[in-house]
Amino acid sequence: MSRWASIVGTGLLAALVTVILLQPAAPATNADRADALAGGLRCPDCAGLSVADSHTASAVAIREQIAELIDGGATDAEIREHFTDRYGDWVLLAPTSPLTWILPFAVLALATAALARWLTRRRERAVVEPVDERERTRLREELEALDG
Amino acid sequence: MRALRWLIVPAVVLPLAWLLFTGFGRDPSEIASPLIGQPAPVWNLEALDGEGLSADDLAGEPYVVNFWASWCLPCIDEHPVLADAYEATGVMVVGIVYQDDPTNARAFLLEHGDAGYPHVVDMNGRVGVDFGVTGPPETFFVDAEGIIRAKQFGPLTTQTMAEHLAAIDVEQP
Repeated sequence: MSRWASIVGTGLLAALVTVILLQPAAPATNADRADALAGGLRCPDCAGLSVADSHTASAVAIREQIAELIDGGATDAEIREHFTDRYGDWVLLAPTSPLTWILPFAVLALATAALARWLTRRRERAVVEPVDERERTRLREELEALDG
Repeated sequence: MRALRWLIVPAVVLPLAWLLFTGFGRDPSEIASPLIGQPAPVWNLEALDGEGLSADDLAGEPYVVNFWASWCLPCIDEHPVLADAYEATGVMVVGIVYQDDPTNARAFLLEHGDAGYPHVVDMNGRVGVDFGVTGPPETFFVDAEGIIRAKQFGPLTTQTMAEHLAAIDVEQP
């Protein structure tokens, strides 16, 4: 059992490392910060674009507001909250819960463990049982009957 | 154990089918506004007639904020609903012209009728963002305390108008 625990454990660790590695580095300048924030917000009046990629009036207005909020000393979390207060979580392009990122890797680790376990069990079950003397005799007799 | 194996199929398929059905069965842009129960955003805009109008001018009485545009086809359908409610109940209505040219907005009112309530122009889209508007028509119902009590996503009908007006304690005939 500890073997399965270690496989699952390794999988979860790999998932965690991936999540940490995928975290983008903190942007350097205010303009970079504004771009990163705008890239993470859904443009309200277009389909499938971020605020950074759109030129609609709302996207422009949101970019202006982001710049003003940054100048006012707001943190990234506060700026995101400013827009989720108005549009709801819908406006965020990426989910905020870390579970969303970890869950697929956890499911993959569990599935791998289950598959490995199933395969080894099948192999164990396939082990050849020794044939006893009575069966040997019966087999010999039947073969002889066939030949005759 | 072998019998339980048959349960795996419904246990996986049924939740997945439910998820896909509910997920694809609704309009993803139709979201409950987080502004309901919150104070209405403040604004100060120029009206189509050139006068200034602000949210403060409306404070103390319930009012209706309607985002519309001349390029918005469902706005044509709901236009008489707003006019009728304004005339029948006397509730204050403000039209906010959303991402549109004032000239086109005036032409829309000439063509489809002007009930007489004011229309202000949200030139840079800022007030639309404060209200979390994704596309007109969207209508907000603000009570006498200045709290948003209801939001209509898409065109108003006589029935939804009556329900939302009740939510801000507007007496209806």
